[in-house]
Amino acid sequence: MTLLDISGLTLDLPNGNRLLDGISLDVSAGETVGLVGESGSGKSVTARSVLGLLPDRATTGGSVRLDGREVLGAPMGELLDLRRHRASMIFQDPRAGINPMRTIGDHMTETLRLCEGKSTAEARARAIELLHAVRLPRPEDHLRQYPHEFSGGMLQRVMIAGALTSSPRLLICDEPTTALDVTTQAEIITVLAEQRASRDMGMLFITHDLNLAASLCDRVVVMSGGRVEEHGDARRVFREPRAEYTKRLVAATPTIAVGEASVGRAVSAGERIETSAPDTRLPSAQSRYGAGAPTRPAAGPMLATLGLSKTYHRRGKEPVRAVADASIEIARGGALGVVGESGSGKSTLARMIVGLEQADAGDIRIAGRERTAAPRTRDERLAHARSVQMVFQDPYLSLDPRITAGRAIEDALRLHTRLASAEARTRVLELLDLVGLAEQHANARPRTLSGGQRQRVAIARALAIAPDVLVMDEATSALDVSVQAQVLDVVAEIRRERGLTVLFISHDLAVVRRVCEETVVMKDGEIVERGRTVRLLDAPEHPYTRLLIDSVPRPDWDLDAVMAEASIDALSATQG
Amino acid sequence: MTTPTLAVKVLRAPRARRRSSTTYLISLGVLAVMTLAAVFAPLIAPYDPDQVDFSAFYAGPSPEHWLGTDGLGRDILSRMIFGARTALLGPLLVVVSSTILGVLLGLLAGWRGGWIDAVLGRIFDVIFAFPALLIAILAVALFGKGLVAPVIAMSIAYAPFVARLTRTLVAAERNRPYVAAYRVQGFGGAWIALRRVLPNVTPIVGAQSTLNFGYVLAELAGLSFLGLGVQAPTADWGAMINEAQAGLIGGYFLPALVPAVAVVIVVVAVNVVGEELSDRIGGGTPA
Repeated sequence: MTLLDISGLTLDLPNGNRLLDGISLDVSAGETVGLVGESGSGKSVTARSVLGLLPDRATTGGSVRLDGREVLGAPMGELLDLRRHRASMIFQDPRAGINPMRTIGDHMTETLRLCEGKSTAEARARAIELLHAVRLPRPEDHLRQYPHEFSGGMLQRVMIAGALTSSPRLLICDEPTTALDVTTQAEIITVLAEQRASRDMGMLFITHDLNLAASLCDRVVVMSGGRVEEHGDARRVFREPRAEYTKRLVAATPTIAVGEASVGRAVSAGERIETSAPDTRLPSAQSRYGAGAPTRPAAGPMLATLGLSKTYHRRGKEPVRAVADASIEIARGGALGVVGESGSGKSTLARMIVGLEQADAGDIRIAGRERTAAPRTRDERLAHARSVQMVFQDPYLSLDPRITAGRAIEDALRLHTRLASAEARTRVLELLDLVGLAEQHANARPRTLSGGQRQRVAIARALAIAPDVLVMDEATSALDVSVQAQVLDVVAEIRRERGLTVLFISHDLAVVRRVCEETVVMKDGEIVERGRTVRLLDAPEHPYTRLLIDSVPRPDWDLDAVMAEASIDALSATQG
Repeated sequence: MTTPTLAVKVLRAPRARRRSSTTYLISLGVLAVMTLAAVFAPLIAPYDPDQVDFSAFYAGPSPEHWLGTDGLGRDILSRMIFGARTALLGPLLVVVSSTILGVLLGLLAGWRGGWIDAVLGRIFDVIFAFPALLIAILAVALFGKGLVAPVIAMSIAYAPFVARLTRTLVAAERNRPYVAAYRVQGFGGAWIALRRVLPNVTPIVGAQSTLNFGYVLAELAGLSFLGLGVQAPTADWGAMINEAQAGLIGGYFLPALVPAVAVVIVVVAVNVVGEELSDRIGGGTPA
């Protein structure tokens, strides 16, 4: 039976922008349909239109029928009825969707009492039952708790339970796991799959992650620029994409599967770097900074940390051990990946290396020079900056909003070199060219650049200083897959041309495998496993590494096995 | 492997040109007229502001005296035009100096934090506890009548308003990743604070200062009304209201009403402009 039938849906904004152009899709009971696309593809707008949540003053065409009733143009009363009894929605950020001042119990029982007219006791019993269904450990206690006491993953389960209070026929999930760690994502997906099966619901699952869609959904609809590009069986679309756009999307999506073409390419690129005697290809410090610049010792690793530790002391709370005894080493021109989930200490490690945080204990050496202590003089500060540069996670925040791209790079150049204005400007254009940007971007402020362009500017800015080591802290996490692929290509090319040493921090194993020859895995501030990336992915030794790898969605995903491993890992964690 | 060339089109700034409200435009016009009148007073005013016309005391509006004359037979329009000079100059000085003082202290407190922030915060609290007018009267009592002492006193009294705002904005800005990025590049703290963070918060602080202008204008006029600010016979709106008190008993409202209405109009106009400016800037603050 068809639950949701969207046919020929168009949506125009008053300013003439067409957000959706002839969208058609359908969802049956007990079926999961994936809506896949990059940002701006119109996937969220499509999903919201099912609940009548349209942008202001938008004009629509076509039809959206939910459980046999037309949604477009329906009166408010009917829309409310649909939202109360027919369909529910789960959003990306659970924390933004829940009132922080009210308890979980309030959140859960409100709709039950007000919409279904249940008594307080009945509503409470039902809420406990639902919290149980989404596998929260202690439902009775949770009812009295506030959202801030919950982790992101637990809160998303509350949101799922909340969406199920009305026993919807259709559940719309808008990127419900994007803000979560991979292992948490696997748990949430398990809960969703269970509930769909036991309630025979239809599910419309929106995601940018093609791997996830292929592993969870029966059918997928691929969207781009407000149009449906491809529609078909989930695994077929993933394995043999037909539309040109889907082919590109599949190619750009990093994967951890061994033997993939794109992987071979990245790894061989990495090996070429290792064998091409990168020392001679380094931008010459002598020529760029004048004769007074220190000569760099030739031997030894480019970056080495020894027993680096950092503990945060919070007022009135237990101290947090962010990084404990971390020792890493990167050879000249090498790339080391640091993988871990949120709170694993990987960002703190990066911030210590670039000097934004001071280590409690341990030792950092870059190109053979001591870089542990905070620089005191201007010269020390500049020397530290020349030894290591960083590209930050969010390109929307790491560029000064008032400064144009060219100016940002020029500032960095002028601080570190004695170039005249004209020379500096030429150099800026060279650097922009290096990251695939053109002269016109030099005069653009960050606001007018796209996410990928901004991140390229950030990379060019870091390279302006010609650092020994480049730290990339989740530098591609905020980008769409195709943009991410482009940025990663830029990095690979720069590494090949200049022999740059890279410390690549990411939560995404697939991305790390594309960039790095060596990888370390961090958990709770400790490095639990290290080795060649291919070996790590192929034959993980530590149970946590195995859990991380198995949590990454793929078409032949076995969720039960992942859950079993998660419990073993939790067990070993409590024992250790 | 080649770098894929993007469809590298620089996006248009998504800032839709907002239609300015009519009140905003009218207010802007009022302020422009007032400023021009103050600057070109000798060229515009029909009479010398101190010139006495013995044939007309408390005269009503007439072709000779458009707004009539006061109890000494002086042309009210001319006195209003010359009075605009002190009426606008005083607040301008107060706003400029309180902004400079407030921004510097706020930047110091917000950027350094710690004990500097705590100490400055307590000092601001103390100044906040006294109304600006009271501080101004105190200054007059200590240093004598005239415009200089009250302007200095009010500059100090208004500085905390600016400083508080600047401190909050700077403290928020300090934790943004772009500041960390500057640090990683090797820029010094003072450079980042003065050359990069300060310009990013200036628009909002500027809008707040514009609002202060209206309050200061009203308070300085009040001071002159009390006979503590601008001294007779200099033309000043506040002093004019003071001098016109005697006439009110005799039923001559115009000499008091004209400057009073002028104060109200300018204060309202400044507030409208200030609000609109802070709305606009607030809408497009650094992302």
